[in-house]
Amino acid sequence: MSLALPPLRVSRYTATSCLGAGLSSHVEALREARSGLAPCRFDTVDLPTWVGEVAGLEGQRLPEQFADFDCRNNRLAELALLQDGYADAVEEAVLRYGRERIGLFLGTSTSGILQTELAYRELDAQGALPAGFHYARTHNTFSLAAYVRARFGLRGPVSITSSACSSSAKVFGTAQRMIAAGLVDCALVGGVDSLCLTTLYGFNSLELLSSAPCRPFDAARSGLSLGEAAAFALLERAPTQMTADAVLLLGVGESSDAYHMSSPHPDGLGARLAMEQALRQAGLQPEDIDYINLHGTATPSNDAAEGRAVGALFGAGVTCSSTKGATGHTLGAAGGIEAVLSLLALREGLLPGSPGTAALDPAIADVAPLDYVLSPRAGEPRRVLSNSFGFGGTNCSLVLARGDAR
Amino acid sequence: MTQAIRAPLSAQVAGIGVLGPGLADWAQARAVLRDEQAYAAQPCVLPVPQILPPAERRRATAVIKLTLASGLEAVAAAGLKAAELATVFTSSGGDGRNCHEICAALASSDRLISPTRFHNSVHNAASGYWGIATGAMAPSAVLCAFDASFAAGLLDAMVQAAATSAPVLLLAYDTDYPEPLRQVRPIPDNFAVALALSPTAGGLARLAIDPAALFTAEPATCMDDAALEALRLAIPAARALPLLRALALGTPGRLVLDHLPGEQLALELSPC
Amino acid sequence: MSAPNTATSPVDPALMQEVAQHIVAALNLDLPAEDIDPDAPLYGEGLGLDSIDILEIALVLSKHYGLQLRSDDANNHVIFRSLRDLAAYVGEKRTR
Repeated sequence: MSLALPPLRVSRYTATSCLGAGLSSHVEALREARSGLAPCRFDTVDLPTWVGEVAGLEGQRLPEQFADFDCRNNRLAELALLQDGYADAVEEAVLRYGRERIGLFLGTSTSGILQTELAYRELDAQGALPAGFHYARTHNTFSLAAYVRARFGLRGPVSITSSACSSSAKVFGTAQRMIAAGLVDCALVGGVDSLCLTTLYGFNSLELLSSAPCRPFDAARSGLSLGEAAAFALLERAPTQMTADAVLLLGVGESSDAYHMSSPHPDGLGARLAMEQALRQAGLQPEDIDYINLHGTATPSNDAAEGRAVGALFGAGVTCSSTKGATGHTLGAAGGIEAVLSLLALREGLLPGSPGTAALDPAIADVAPLDYVLSPRAGEPRRVLSNSFGFGGTNCSLVLARGDAR
Repeated sequence: MTQAIRAPLSAQVAGIGVLGPGLADWAQARAVLRDEQAYAAQPCVLPVPQILPPAERRRATAVIKLTLASGLEAVAAAGLKAAELATVFTSSGGDGRNCHEICAALASSDRLISPTRFHNSVHNAASGYWGIATGAMAPSAVLCAFDASFAAGLLDAMVQAAATSAPVLLLAYDTDYPEPLRQVRPIPDNFAVALALSPTAGGLARLAIDPAALFTAEPATCMDDAALEALRLAIPAARALPLLRALALGTPGRLVLDHLPGEQLALELSPC
Repeated sequence: MSAPNTATSPVDPALMQEVAQHIVAALNLDLPAEDIDPDAPLYGEGLGLDSIDILEIALVLSKHYGLQLRSDDANNHVIFRSLRDLAAYVGEKRTR
């Protein structure tokens, strides 16, 4: 007998990206169809590409007792935690539930690897790393969770999910299972990923970077624009009666492509499995979904595969868009940031547009006649789906809904 | 409001795979852990994964070889089908050798990095190759919790088996770090353990965790043999050794596994 | 950039052997460099290479010989047709 996975209330959420720090700048950017992408000036990177860089991280400080954790990724985490009363909400949850009863499940792909990239420029004559380099608290994949756990004094179950671009969507599933199993009463979930040379030069080596701002689902798309972001949410059991302005996690679907490390299955079979599973868990049919926040990275093969999968499952006319033209592809933070943008769509009655996209690729429209939202428009989405698919064929879809649309 | 379920969280160990220094497979590890055979620390030998298509086989790194060997051993022992199994991969950090090569290239003048290395650099590389090798399209979790990675992965896999009412394969693994990373992360060799966990009866032993008292300040259960204790401490995935010994001996009782300082994972083992 | 006229380019056998060795090493191929048929297709059947392999070869040859190779080059169907064609291109474009 499997455990019932009841809906969870998303009681607090926040996001920080190139669009700004906190929710209000994101709402504004979505309304104005603003993109945060700019020509890459990051570090000493010499690549003809655009990035979504978060302003002000150079000056961001961590609380003094956590100085060992200092790196770009943890600075970005700290900046995001301070927005929208999020840190205060965590403190309140600690008082309400106890620090042992709060789970911490975060996603990242590269964590603080930038510290190691910089350290390798300063190897001494014997090839030794510079003094003061702190591997465990900066570079290691877990350093993000170690920092957030130490900062709030949490003592419950903890893990990092690092499954490339699905990382911070999958953590919603981890939280859901941990709460259902009775291990925790509340979970702090989210994702943080920061710019580094590994991903910039890495995607360049695969010739997947666009030299112009990315153009998701456009016939002229030529690759992705990288970004950095942090998103956090607090998940708790949902009361049976909820107000319309509350938001819920209704379902999570996860799957694997079992196809190729860096190319999606051409028909998006794995993606389709994840979307179907998320709907099944939410107890919904495809027609119940009012908006899909697509993964939409703007590489030719990814968008074609996702378009096919979405078209096959949801049929003609499903309303959807990718917001990566606004934020860039924030990799391990993408699932988290797009979950938050989806929650804002529910809260604000707003269907996000797709900055950078001039028109839906006719080749995609031929097989999947989507209602692709180019410019933001008013709407009343009640239930939305957010897709996150990654390298290694890892897929995750989330169903989020208004409190009155269970 | 829905009440928290406070029943013990439990799972059956249905199959085991091991690969590490001086431990070629579970049969040998079992003999060593039962004191029927002396432990001889030898560098870990990684088999070529014949199950992979030729292109992926050429690109397979140590992480891939390690997880395929140990994972397939556990699946076969449990009599399960890899293609149908959900998986939980857990490792204390990224692929150190791959990371070293990339960081060295990024510190060089041309900064050109190998596309193969880059696509192997994701923490979920082992999960991706596992899917390609076995055809498994089921969910695959990919976790990291530094030195707590084995315990965190075990907890996650047990929760998942309970939540889905289906078997789950746990794969915990670490590969060695080259210089200069080894100065700051002294992992000397490769080690992997795979446990096929089933929510239903019929395995080798039942593991149970009390959700109301997950962690304890008690010290972790140690290995009596000095060389095995050294191995347990040297490689994070080898923190599983006390559990493997209890499984080999069929010893019932309480085990404490290394997790985070002052917060170790307590579990009860009952042989079937 | 003009398309290389590989059909008539004489190819230095030593260079061809060297390029073959780079390919074998970069792709971890399980065969000696001298066993690569100079006229067999590199892509798809033949050596069984895929798009990642072509990117890898392009990287290694670009680094070693100081030339530019990108997989979206319109002439790639000619440049990567076979070991002989690839070596001819390297011979023509190398800067070191």
